[in-house]
Amino acid sequence: MKFLRRSRRRVPDYDPDSPDPVLLTAVAAGETDALEILHRRHAPWLRARLRYRCSDSDQLDAALQETFLAVWRNAGSFRPRPGDTDAGAWLWTIAIRQLISQLRKRANRWIAESEPEPYETIGDASAEDTVLLNIEHGPLGTALHELSPELRSALKATVLDGLTVREAAEILQIPEGTVKTRVMRAKARLREALTT
Amino acid sequence: MSWHLDQDQLHRYANHTADDVTAMSVEAHLTHCAHCRDRLPTDDAWLESSWADLRDIVDRPRLGPVERLLGVMGVREGTAKLLAATPALYRAWLIATVVVLIAALTLAHEVPRGTLLFSFTAPIVPLIGVALAYGRGVDPAHTLTSVTPWAGYPLLLMRTCAVLVPALLLCTVAAILMPSSATLYEAVFWLLPALAMVAGCLTLSRWMHLSLAGGIVAVGWVLTVGIMALEGVDPLLLFSSTAQGCWAIALTLLTVAIVLRVRTA
Repeated sequence: MKFLRRSRRRVPDYDPDSPDPVLLTAVAAGETDALEILHRRHAPWLRARLRYRCSDSDQLDAALQETFLAVWRNAGSFRPRPGDTDAGAWLWTIAIRQLISQLRKRANRWIAESEPEPYETIGDASAEDTVLLNIEHGPLGTALHELSPELRSALKATVLDGLTVREAAEILQIPEGTVKTRVMRAKARLREALTT
Repeated sequence: MSWHLDQDQLHRYANHTADDVTAMSVEAHLTHCAHCRDRLPTDDAWLESSWADLRDIVDRPRLGPVERLLGVMGVREGTAKLLAATPALYRAWLIATVVVLIAALTLAHEVPRGTLLFSFTAPIVPLIGVALAYGRGVDPAHTLTSVTPWAGYPLLLMRTCAVLVPALLLCTVAAILMPSSATLYEAVFWLLPALAMVAGCLTLSRWMHLSLAGGIVAVGWVLTVGIMALEGVDPLLLFSSTAQGCWAIALTLLTVAIVLRVRTA
């Protein structure tokens, strides 16, 4: 029976240097070795990045484990954009959503778990992303430094992490309306700083 | 990517000492730069243990369709596994049943009075399946299962259910496909004798090996049919309404005997 299940999907040839999409195809076909390679490649930076959003290492590790379990189950749903050999952005969207659901679980265990939304790669790098990539080298760096931490974290959750306003409100533990106004104010400040 | 993070930035980021703005910049870069991700300092011990935890979950065998169906129906996980594993013990019987029923069907359609063969095989098909479902020499894991709390009647009855369901389904399908299955009676006349003989086999198994008990009951059935045919009595009398009443009474008595036995065991 195992043989039948395996042969249903063709397993591509892969090795530790294969690009992410190849590995994900192999994972979708049930290859645990491919998952290990992906884990080795992506778990460290995902963990480092999640650490800036959650200081409880138990919750963090749980979120990371759920992330890779989601990859194990949903690897077939990964659709790389043409020419894209990297699943970093896709993995991050899964990881941050798993972290939010971990935090939600801990905070209100009596509320029924809602169905997770389908994972989609964050769209093409927006103008803001492109600017952020060069923070250190542009005038934006100084402008960001001058933002208050509240405005900065709102901007970080929505722009950098690709969260919806609702998710950002959950992870920052502030009302949705507050997230919206903070993001608006932060963007206005930045625009001001960049044009003067 | 036109530029890469320097070692110092990576170290500060990984050690959670980077300030907010640098962290944002590093993150925006890392999302798209595999090169810098690889250079990020990692905690190998953590990576190992994290993978070990993950592998424990991932390596668990996936549930088969039968187990999942039983799970949906509210059967407990262990019971579902037990029921789903039973057919492995009697796969040969399952194939043989299908072959015999197909042969009986072909005969019934091609030869006059060919339905007779089906009438006398259908009642013992479930019986043989039950006889092969439990016991030393039949179940490769019998030595192991016999020392579990499940051994004995609970396991025997569980396995019997696992056999009876496919057997009864197959026989019903065959009965419906019979050329003369016009009435409900034509489709289910074999059911009561079959169940009564299974119950008889289970009762006998108190004193002997289950397979032997099954064999004795089956031989008894074949002998009865043979003797009736030799004496010039129509063997179909075994399925007449009076006989059905007797079968029903026998089934009730034997079931009560089994239930009492299970209660006191």
